[in-house]
Amino acid sequence: MSVTRGSYTQSQKLMTFVLSMSLYGLATLISELIPSVQVGIVEFSVEFFLFIPLAIAMLFDPLSAALGAATGELVFSEIMLGQFGGIGELEKFLTVTIALYVAGTLVKDPRNMKAVALVSFGCTALQLAMSAGVDICKVAFAVEEFEAVPGLPESVYFTEGFAFANDLLFSGILFCMLPTMFLVPRLYGKIEPLLGMKPRTPENAPAAPSAGLVIAAVACFAVAVAVACFSEAGFSLIEWEAEWAESETAIFTGIVVSAVVALVAAFWAHRNAQLRSA
Amino acid sequence: MIEKISESVLDKVSVDFLRDQVLKNAYGNDDTPIAALDPRVLLLWYLFFGIVPWFLNDVIVLLGFFILTVVTTRVARVAPLVLFVFALGIFSQTGYTFIVSLFFEGDLDTLLSLLVLTLKVATCSLASITVFSGLDPDRLSNGLLWFGVPERLSFSIAFAYRVLPILMEELQNILLSYRLRGRAPAHDTLAGKVRWLIYQVRIVIQSFYPLMLNTAKRSRTTVEALELKGYRYASTNLKVLKIKLSSLHAGRREAVFVAISVAWVVLCFVVSKIVGL
Repeated sequence: MSVTRGSYTQSQKLMTFVLSMSLYGLATLISELIPSVQVGIVEFSVEFFLFIPLAIAMLFDPLSAALGAATGELVFSEIMLGQFGGIGELEKFLTVTIALYVAGTLVKDPRNMKAVALVSFGCTALQLAMSAGVDICKVAFAVEEFEAVPGLPESVYFTEGFAFANDLLFSGILFCMLPTMFLVPRLYGKIEPLLGMKPRTPENAPAAPSAGLVIAAVACFAVAVAVACFSEAGFSLIEWEAEWAESETAIFTGIVVSAVVALVAAFWAHRNAQLRSA
Repeated sequence: MIEKISESVLDKVSVDFLRDQVLKNAYGNDDTPIAALDPRVLLLWYLFFGIVPWFLNDVIVLLGFFILTVVTTRVARVAPLVLFVFALGIFSQTGYTFIVSLFFEGDLDTLLSLLVLTLKVATCSLASITVFSGLDPDRLSNGLLWFGVPERLSFSIAFAYRVLPILMEELQNILLSYRLRGRAPAHDTLAGKVRWLIYQVRIVIQSFYPLMLNTAKRSRTTVEALELKGYRYASTNLKVLKIKLSSLHAGRREAVFVAISVAWVVLCFVVSKIVGL
């Protein structure tokens, strides 16, 4: 294997993906079944097992590890348990992927405990900050004339900020930093040969995310925020449709329904033809 | 008495029980009418019931949709554990919000608007339970593949169901061996209880260390086996897809299913018009 920066073969990436997916999937499946701890109005919505993909992202290819963890969570705990929430899951998928990927690229040498500790804490902070931001945006867009409702903005900022600080202190240190500091030095040098790779050193560490990738990630995140807001706010669509004359509503609905049916039928025929001609 | 009940509940909720339920959910209901349907049709059906309820605010129509998804979930014979998790999620969320709203001068109107929200969430969840739990994982991933979903996702679904029982058993074995070798602190006093909790959490975290090493070995074997079969090229090759997806067939049964669903949806709208809420 060459010692160039961030050189992982396709099959090594796939191995990392499978490893991170199955482990984090199993862990989230278990944590889904643990009832969330509630003390008063404070809910400890802890990502109990974020330390697993975090350790994998620090030791192997960060992007595969991050994508694997997010996919594992989606498949094991959402689809297998039938908790799949549709487009709203996009937000969680992206925040987990981005946070893990950034954390994985920041650690140049897994033997440096100070970096591991700082980055694992920062990863939780990043993930929590992104979800809190999405939640605030949701409320801001969902409630019309957000500022006009007395006391609402303050209370949302307060509860979100409080949940953020509380989750960060609780899950960031107890369930993310300490286990990662326990696992990474123990796994270092032992787990890499099992996947046929060299341990990560400052020389062969993956390159920091390129500018294009950062822009793509920010764009993806913006789309996710928009989707999340839409899934919360866009539901009055039919209501203001109903304010029109009765017949116009019927025509409008008819046009939408037939357009959707035509679209589905066209896609169906296209895909069938594509497969038949292959 | 209470001790006995909690003991029997704890007995039931073991890793073995979880594994059995997940397996039963995945492979135990191949013979239901839902499982026999074409996965592509079911996925489209899910898209309708996963998206459309969010745009409706009519209680009667939503109730109709909800009843339909309840029936399909019943027909799909979903494992009790999945339904339990679903019910827990729905009721804890709505009930909690209602209790909080009571403090802020909420009344029956609040309950009604909460009911609408709950119906929407419940309809979407039940539709997803019907489709994703009622279908055989292989058929599900074939259906997704047909729609051009990234190969990795459909592979993950098929793989997850197979590997999960093995992983669970292994985790349980490791946990048990840690318990055998260690000594849990006495938990009579409050301080002891805290120590006991910390001890348990530490064991779970520690047992992921051997599990990670074992899984690393296993994932290498898996990927090497996939490479031997030419997985990475096969997943993008249309000829291979054609052979792989040739088992999908939408026919009369699917038409009947779609017709019943459409008729029910139309009926819901008609009833709500007549009642005129």
